[in-house]
Amino acid sequence: MSEIRLQVKNLCKSFGITKAVQDVSFSINKGEVHALIGENGSGKSTLTNMLTGIYTIDSGTFILDDEEIHPKNQVDANDHGVSIIVQELGTLSGLTVAENIFLGHEDRFVKFGIKNTKQMIKEANDLLHRYGFDRIKAQRMIDDYNFEDRKLVEIVKATYFDPKIVVIDETTTALSQEGRNELYKVMDRIRESGNTIIFISHDLQEVLDHSDTITILRDGVYIDTVKSKDVTEEDLKRLMVGREVTGDYYRSDYGSVISDEVVLSVKDVSVPGLLSNLNFELHKGEILGFGGLSESGMHEVGKAIFGASYDRQGTVKLSDGTEINDIPTAISHSIAYTSKDRDNESVVLNQSIMDNICLPSLDKLSDKRHMLHDKTLRTFADKFAKEMSVKMVNVDQFVSDLSGGNKQKVVLARWIGKDSDIVVLDSPTRGIDIKVKQDIYQLMDRMRKDGKSIIMISEELMELIGMCDRIIIMKDGMISGQIERHETLDENNLITMMV
Amino acid sequence: MSSSTVTMGQKKITGSLRGYLILLFLVVLSWGIFKILTPHNFGSFNNMLSYFQASLIASVGAVGFYFVMVMGMFDFSIGANIMLSAIVGCVFATKFGLGYIGLVLGALFCGCMVGLFNGSFYVKLRIPSMIVTTGLALIYEAVANYIAGGVEQTLPADLRMFGQMPGDIVLAIAAFLVAYVFLNYTKIGTYTYAIGSNEFVAKNMGINVNKYKVLAFILSGGFLGIMAVLTISYGSSMVAVTGMASMSRNFVPTMGCFFGVAFKKYGIPLQAIIIGEFIINIIFFGFIALGAPTAIQDVITGFALLIIITVTSKIKKGEIVK
Amino acid sequence: MAAVGKAGTTVNKEEQVKKVSEMSMVRTFLPIVGLIIVFLIFNVLTNFRMIKNMPLVLSQIYVTMIATTGVFFIMTMGGLDFSQGSILGIASIVVCMVSKISIPLSIVSGIIAGALIGAFNGYFYVYRKIKSFIVTICTMFLFRGFIKYMTTNAPVAGSATLINYDSTGLKVLLTLIILVIGFVLFRYTKFGTYLKAIGAGEKAAMFSGVRTDLMKFWVYVLSGAITGFAAFVNVIKVGSVTSSGGNQLETQILIALVLGGMPISGGAKVRFENIIVGSLLYIVLNSGLTMMGFSTQMMQLIQGIVFLVFVAIFADRQSLQVIK
Repeated sequence: MSEIRLQVKNLCKSFGITKAVQDVSFSINKGEVHALIGENGSGKSTLTNMLTGIYTIDSGTFILDDEEIHPKNQVDANDHGVSIIVQELGTLSGLTVAENIFLGHEDRFVKFGIKNTKQMIKEANDLLHRYGFDRIKAQRMIDDYNFEDRKLVEIVKATYFDPKIVVIDETTTALSQEGRNELYKVMDRIRESGNTIIFISHDLQEVLDHSDTITILRDGVYIDTVKSKDVTEEDLKRLMVGREVTGDYYRSDYGSVISDEVVLSVKDVSVPGLLSNLNFELHKGEILGFGGLSESGMHEVGKAIFGASYDRQGTVKLSDGTEINDIPTAISHSIAYTSKDRDNESVVLNQSIMDNICLPSLDKLSDKRHMLHDKTLRTFADKFAKEMSVKMVNVDQFVSDLSGGNKQKVVLARWIGKDSDIVVLDSPTRGIDIKVKQDIYQLMDRMRKDGKSIIMISEELMELIGMCDRIIIMKDGMISGQIERHETLDENNLITMMV
Repeated sequence: MSSSTVTMGQKKITGSLRGYLILLFLVVLSWGIFKILTPHNFGSFNNMLSYFQASLIASVGAVGFYFVMVMGMFDFSIGANIMLSAIVGCVFATKFGLGYIGLVLGALFCGCMVGLFNGSFYVKLRIPSMIVTTGLALIYEAVANYIAGGVEQTLPADLRMFGQMPGDIVLAIAAFLVAYVFLNYTKIGTYTYAIGSNEFVAKNMGINVNKYKVLAFILSGGFLGIMAVLTISYGSSMVAVTGMASMSRNFVPTMGCFFGVAFKKYGIPLQAIIIGEFIINIIFFGFIALGAPTAIQDVITGFALLIIITVTSKIKKGEIVK
Repeated sequence: MAAVGKAGTTVNKEEQVKKVSEMSMVRTFLPIVGLIIVFLIFNVLTNFRMIKNMPLVLSQIYVTMIATTGVFFIMTMGGLDFSQGSILGIASIVVCMVSKISIPLSIVSGIIAGALIGAFNGYFYVYRKIKSFIVTICTMFLFRGFIKYMTTNAPVAGSATLINYDSTGLKVLLTLIILVIGFVLFRYTKFGTYLKAIGAGEKAAMFSGVRTDLMKFWVYVLSGAITGFAAFVNVIKVGSVTSSGGNQLETQILIALVLGGMPISGGAKVRFENIIVGSLLYIVLNSGLTMMGFSTQMMQLIQGIVFLVFVAIFADRQSLQVIK
């Protein structure tokens, strides 16, 4: 059983100045479910994306059954016997289910340039039947099916040709219990046939239940490989987070009294399909956390407060009675927002750091005749970029050249420059390295002490526990629970409310 | 779950049926309005047949252009292509004495070449397709003018088989069949939709995206070449205009294409293009029957296209449109 | 697939910064150097006939340059406008008709007519979310039809007194007024910064407090109004409007801006100088070729090639992730 299927040797990959994977080596056996775990940005997806040809390899090799492989794209990887079920939607709309299953492999249905659609549909239906997904019909458009069924189609697409290795990249988060069970069944079948699964999941319990071996990555570095039966969830967590997380990583105070002064109240806020009937209040000097699964609606909370949601109902009111219904009103009343989708919704990517920082403050920076002067803008931008210690050549540099962490610093510099009192941070540390994370946490702590109010929306439970005075957990667009800051709080307290 | 799939299965059948019903309703509606307004010189069976024949010309170009449009690209050189291909075909047929073969193959070849240029410049220069094709249209117009020597190119009376029944219908139906086969029974069709849906994913699936984009342009060019044959056969001559005046020929095929894109979800894009062009022609001839001056027809064309797009495209909240 | 965009940026940082600054040098100086070289070449080739006929050469530039200013704003936001020629035609007809009542009123009417068409464009583009180039080719055709209809029997003639205003001094003055106002707005107020932000990243601009939809709509109105103003300059030169009034202005503007070094997708890399250098280069190129006796189709061929070359050089590909 324990024959080696895949060897990962000295693998490296950088994006700009961010080292996503650094000199990683380990091996994976035949007939096992090998889990890959680590925090966000630890390099799991980067690694598997290289294995499946989505990214190119900087240096290092993959050796599959004694043969070195360099897949150029997914289909090429498939030909080597490697396939992947991606995190996002991997099916293409406008095509039928059958066309999606065989995309890139049509050649065996093509004779003299003409595609035998009938044969293709028949084979696809046979496959769907074999997997027990009879309710999905191969001849139908993929658009006719919901997210969950489309994921099932992807499972068929990735596994029907008995690949030697199947990568399952955080697929389960998108699936209901029913869908998960289908996936586990497929995983069992693959393992029994002697093939290998690389399983990526954030759900540690799931990892322990369904994998044989676990490899832990942290910040792009290989940490350890362990047998599932030898470890507990606590062990895994310790390995994932590592020793760097010391006392002053997060804020260290407990039991501080939060002011009674309400700065923002949210009443009966609903956004069709995303949020229903949200009610809460934000106090002065408080860090209020929002946690939940990615699809729980928590990311919409930030947008709703900032006036950026479409078709929002209910009211978002400041202490002076001002209602916030659109972004310009929100900004002029001292509300700041950083989006989870940093590159599209936070920074203007193809513009200078200077313009990015000055953008919401232009009224303030204009002189009496509403004129702007380069010098004023430059001084302003420079001051706040330096305050946030943005790594840059000068403020004329384009934001697109910066790393994720520095982009986030530019966004924060913008809002500190605007001197906003209510700061809504959606996934502020997403894809950011430890050092910058720490800077952001310290900044939040300073702002809190200065009497600013912060809303922190995050998928990382640890940082919510570490930073927030109060955590609201969301589920299915509604508040499912609330927890006060406490030393003994751990992830399990929150998880029970999330699922 | 299983009960919902049964109803979904029925929806598929009614899907294309519903598409046809909407189109049929539009045909009857546009016919009905003008029949009431001007009962005597509009809308008899023979009238309708001739409107349909006239609409076939643009339909042929539109089914080709559909491949380009589904991929999300655009082409401003449609008119210039038609003009150039018609002139080349005419020159092959008359000056080189190749008759019908010269006409059809000349125009087809020229159309494909224009498509090849469009596609390769677009892919190689990496500039938005509508800008590339605007620049190239200037060049095609100039070339057409040069080939024509500044004079009107007339197709002799004995070479106008494709300008009337049954020649035009035969050629058009042949073209539709080819388009149908390409769309439904070749890799090109599948990949066209795949690239139109998500280029990144398509690329990761090993699809040579650039190659298929160029192929789509060539295919589109070929169909526009056939449209050029029908155009010059129907109108008997072609003038090589300059100064982007050829752009006025872009409209009618583009309009049909929007019908195709709108009815894609019913699974009948090509059928929708053909019927859509027919509807457009009913409206045109309706206005003519009403005695509207020719200049006003341009107003109607422009307005009709705008309305068709407005009605057929869905507004997505938060979508960035440039 | 969020991280895919990052995959291309493995070049090290300094190299990238250097490349960017080199590119911005090319962007700034190539059009100017090109203008000087082309100007010199044509003067030599035409035995300095061009410099002698400079007033005549420049007489074509005023309308283009004024209208280009409006389109420049639109293109900075990443939009396009192909209806400029029709706007000029319609506005010219309005100016001609109203000029019989009052000249000042005719100027205002021209501006209003242009602004209304701009608003029409803006409505369909911004509030119906139809791509700007599609909206504007439709309106181009639509209003061209009107122009043809209005001029079916005879050109629309303006008041005879209009011709009195046809002096180079006035035209230069009017052009300068528009350029100076445009420059100050673009360079020294938040208007310009907002426009560039919309072009460089509309969503992010929106999340930074820019009222993007409102801006986009009013810029189309503004651009229409500016071209409506250009109609007055046009009319005092030609006196009447024929069915081809304003024909091809959109193509001229597009070519002029591209020759001036404007990236076709707009954004942070546009410069106001693009308008001036571009219009001059376009006019010099055009009149130079005419003076050398090139035929219309030959000139168009050269225009087409030059256009493509310049678009290819100045395209800001970095900001276009998927090029359609």
